[in-house]
Amino acid sequence: MSQKTLEQGLSRHELQDLRNKRTGLAIFQISWIMTFVCLIIVNFWMRSSQPAWPPAGVEVDVFVPTLMTIALIASSFFMRRGVKALKANAIEQFTSAWRIGLGFGVVFAVVMAYEFITAPGSGQYRDVYRLMVGFHHVHALAIGYYLIRVYQNGRAGHYSPTNFWPVEGGASLWDFVTVAWVLFYVVLYLI
Amino acid sequence: MASITLPVGGGTQSGAAEAPKLRVSDFLRWSVDHKIIGVQYMAVALFFFIVGGTLAMLIRWELLTPNLDVVQTGTQYNTLFSVHGLVMIFLWIIPMMAGFGNYLVPLQLGAKDMAFPWLNAFAFWLIPPAGILLIGSMLVGAPESGWTQYPPLSTLYSGDGQTLAALSIHLLGISSILGAINFIVTIKNMRPAGMGWWQLPLFCWATLATAIIVVMATPFLAGGLTLLILDKIAGTSFFDAGNGGDPQLWQNVFWFYSHPAVYIMILPGMGMLSEVLATHARKPVFGYKMVAISSMAIALVGFTVWAHHMFTSLTPELRVPFMITSMIIAVPTGIKIFSWLGTIWGGKIRFTSAMLFGLGFLSMFVVGGIGGVMLAAIPFDIHVHDTYFVVSHLHFVLYGGSVFTIYAGIYHWFPKITGRMLDERLGKWHFALTYVGFFFSFFPMNFAGMLGMPRRVAYYLPEFQSVNTVISISAFVLGISTFVMLYNIWISMRHGKKAGANPWRALTLEWATTSPPPSTNFIDDPVPFHDPYGYGDKDSQAYLDDIDKRFGVGEDVPVPRPAVQPAASGD
Repeated sequence: MSQKTLEQGLSRHELQDLRNKRTGLAIFQISWIMTFVCLIIVNFWMRSSQPAWPPAGVEVDVFVPTLMTIALIASSFFMRRGVKALKANAIEQFTSAWRIGLGFGVVFAVVMAYEFITAPGSGQYRDVYRLMVGFHHVHALAIGYYLIRVYQNGRAGHYSPTNFWPVEGGASLWDFVTVAWVLFYVVLYLI
Repeated sequence: MASITLPVGGGTQSGAAEAPKLRVSDFLRWSVDHKIIGVQYMAVALFFFIVGGTLAMLIRWELLTPNLDVVQTGTQYNTLFSVHGLVMIFLWIIPMMAGFGNYLVPLQLGAKDMAFPWLNAFAFWLIPPAGILLIGSMLVGAPESGWTQYPPLSTLYSGDGQTLAALSIHLLGISSILGAINFIVTIKNMRPAGMGWWQLPLFCWATLATAIIVVMATPFLAGGLTLLILDKIAGTSFFDAGNGGDPQLWQNVFWFYSHPAVYIMILPGMGMLSEVLATHARKPVFGYKMVAISSMAIALVGFTVWAHHMFTSLTPELRVPFMITSMIIAVPTGIKIFSWLGTIWGGKIRFTSAMLFGLGFLSMFVVGGIGGVMLAAIPFDIHVHDTYFVVSHLHFVLYGGSVFTIYAGIYHWFPKITGRMLDERLGKWHFALTYVGFFFSFFPMNFAGMLGMPRRVAYYLPEFQSVNTVISISAFVLGISTFVMLYNIWISMRHGKKAGANPWRALTLEWATTSPPPSTNFIDDPVPFHDPYGYGDKDSQAYLDDIDKRFGVGEDVPVPRPAVQPAASGD
């Protein structure tokens, strides 16, 4: 069922409400991503004042974070599949996709928490590394908790093709977590 | 032939339009009504204005003589000016502007409320705890780093109060972002039929531009404050040069927010000014589109000037580009000034208190703006760096600018909010005392600054005492002037003349309903007039007469009208 067809079933007030929520969430995401951009600038600023970045003798493991980045992208992908399934009234497929998405998300969260605890190096390098990973992790955990609640409500049958905003909004927030992480991943591990 | 637009649709608004009776207790609890929230913002902001003003009076009392008199130590003086600055910016001007925005934007759009009423209330209720944190910071190892919170003053030389202050500003930043999201969505999505972008009231344009700055810039402040708090409590050293950090990082992040924040504080006031000048001069806004576009231009260019606050520490090759952008931003501001002059030129000016403050803004803000252009010139900036010249510039822009527009807004919209007129005689006294007190408080600072008096010092050379005496006495006059306004508000809420729906015969939609408006603002969907500033348009007379007929006129009509009998409802 297309988005437009779906929304034709909504009242004028509901349509306005949905439009407002979509716009509001988009603006929030544009706004809050600037905090992550700020931390990226902090990273570049700090590395520009150091003789070597990472400091000499510090080995940065790229393999595990790369796998985790793929896991997070996969997680976002399955969340989106879940939203699509819900809008097509395929509730079973929705909960199934959401469950898989959550699974990938949990793996990401656990492994990156380990990476945070065992952050390499010392001094400014480690401080900036932990700042970025930790800041992202706080967002991932908060939004992840919300996604778990959505899953529970979804299993309890609270959502339908005309009541999908909590699911769509949750997936959008998780997309935000993914995009923010990809930016951080590039800065922390590739550049 | 143009068709005549009437302010309400085909319903029976006149029969149902009873102004609500509001009690004080309605404003003391959680409410999702944007009007209640707007008043809550304004009341809290006014409270903190008194707090910040009291600190200012103590500062000026201290500076009556070159030695320490009022405070016992330099630390206490540092605390006074630090908390004064933080309170005035983050708890007075910004929340006050948000209060006007909350009250007026849905009304001017003909909407029932903001897009996210609950979020709106939540954003407001972050402010009282933030205020308590900030005031409390004075009691637990006070912040001593000024409102700019520069490390190492904030990290190494301030106590735990600095951490509380940073947490407070964090909360206020979140509040600002949530409020701004609400404004953008409301203005973008909830305009009524017949109100395209070029029929949008200029206050809404200004609020939109402000909100865009807030959502794009405030996250940088959040990022910077997070680092500052970590440096204070978690043992990091992002800003500690002794441990590999860099204090200039804070300066860049802080000013990337805080220079645009100047526009957060002035743009809504500029929007209010356009409303006030056009209404009280009975003329259309001159160059409406250019005024709207210039708000957006200020928002955009405002992001490219932050490093002019660091000319003395900036890499030399970066100084000239930032000097140029800093001068460029005077262009859209100049467009506004010329537009306002064009608006009042040849108008039927009524020298109401609102108009007087509007005209006062024009004169004072131009002085502040010229000072800004002078500071944008690198050699001059280096000469007056960290002197009273900078203090003068800041206050001309933020008091002569923002606060004058707030006063104009209070006199203009008080009748709508309360249903009663403010006393015009007291209003004129308020204006006279404010204008004189303000000018002689801050203009002499230009001379003191150019002669080398440094800012943020409790001790100064004896040769500066005479100028400081003039400044302090004028500041006390300015302080007293505030109480004239507060007394006026107090007395007029009880005994002011009934205002009617549209005492100024203004064309924007907030006037096309009762004063104060009912909880849903309008009973029917209101129809905006095709030009919100179409004064002189013959159709506008019919539109305004219809408002009078439907909602009634007040006891003492300040604007001449065609013969219309006062209606029973509306007040």
